[in-house]
Amino acid sequence: MEDSQELKGWSPYLAGALTGLLLVFSVWFTGKYVGASTTFVRSAGFIERVFDADRVANLEYFIKEAPKIDWQWMFVVGIFFGSLISAVTSKTFRWQAVPTMWDERFGPNRIKRAIAAFIGGTIAMFGARLADG
Amino acid sequence: MNELIYGFVTGIIFGFLLQKGRVIRYDKQLGALRLIDMTIVKFMLSTILVAMVGVYLLKDLGLVKLSLKSTVLGGNIIGGLIFGIGWGFLGYCPGTSLGALGEGRWDAIWGIVGMLTGAALFAETYPFLKSTVLKWGDYGKITIPGILGVNHWVIIVLFIIGGISLFRWFEKRKL
Repeated sequence: MEDSQELKGWSPYLAGALTGLLLVFSVWFTGKYVGASTTFVRSAGFIERVFDADRVANLEYFIKEAPKIDWQWMFVVGIFFGSLISAVTSKTFRWQAVPTMWDERFGPNRIKRAIAAFIGGTIAMFGARLADG
Repeated sequence: MNELIYGFVTGIIFGFLLQKGRVIRYDKQLGALRLIDMTIVKFMLSTILVAMVGVYLLKDLGLVKLSLKSTVLGGNIIGGLIFGIGWGFLGYCPGTSLGALGEGRWDAIWGIVGMLTGAALFAETYPFLKSTVLKWGDYGKITIPGILGVNHWVIIVLFIIGGISLFRWFEKRKL
C-alpha cells in the first residue's frame, strides 16, 4: 500500500524547487510572500465575532490582524483544492482518520487521535504566532 | 478582487506541489521530526534555495522588495519551541493541514479547530506578551549579510553549498 503510494509522487527536490519558482513568481508579479498562520487569526476573529462582536472589535491583536478575506486567506483555501486535485488525479486520495504511523504507536482510537491533534494544533498555533511565523 | 484570485491560484499550485512532493502526510512530518525520513527537509530546503536565488536576483534588478520580519529572540525562540511541541502532537503545519484535508486525512480537521483556538488564545494574551516576551532581544529587521557586513551573494552561495552537501549526505544515508 505505502509502496504503491511512494511510486506515485514526485521527487521532493523537484516539487520543492518548483515551489521555490512559484514563490519567486508570486513575489515578482504580485509582491506577495507566502504565509499561512495569519489566516488562522483572521478566521478565529470571524468566528468569535459571531458570539462577541465587541470583544473582537476591541482586542488589539484582532485590530492588528483584522477578520477579513485577503490574499493569504485565499492562498490557504487554495492549498486545500490544489492538494485535492493532485490526490484525486493521482489516485492517492484516501479517507483516513488516524495516520499510519500514529496507529502503529498509539492504536486506531479516533478520539485519542482527535484530542492529540486538537491540543497539538492549539499549542502549535500559539507558538507560531509568538514567533511571528 | 484580482489579488484574491492570485492568492487562490497560487494556493492551488502550492497545494498541488505539496501533495506531489508527499510532504503533507503526518508520517512524513513525524518522520522528519524523528530523523528517519528527510523528505520534507529536502522539499523545504529546495524551495528555500531556489526562492533565495530568485528573489535576490529580482531585488538586485530592482523589480521586487524584500519583506523582512523583525528578529525578536524572545518571541522567535520561545515561540519556536512551543510550536515544535504542538507540531509533534499534530503532525501537520498550519498551511499543510488544509492540504492534508484535501488528500482525505481528515484528522487534520481537529488540528485546524485547535489552531483556530490557539490563534484566539494568542489574541487574548497578546497585550501581556507584547510587554514581556516580545520585547526580549528585539533586533529589528536584520539580515545575515547585513549583520556580517558582506554581500548577500556570499551568503547565498554558502547556503547552496551547505544545502547540497546536506542533500548528498541524506542520499548516502538513504534518509
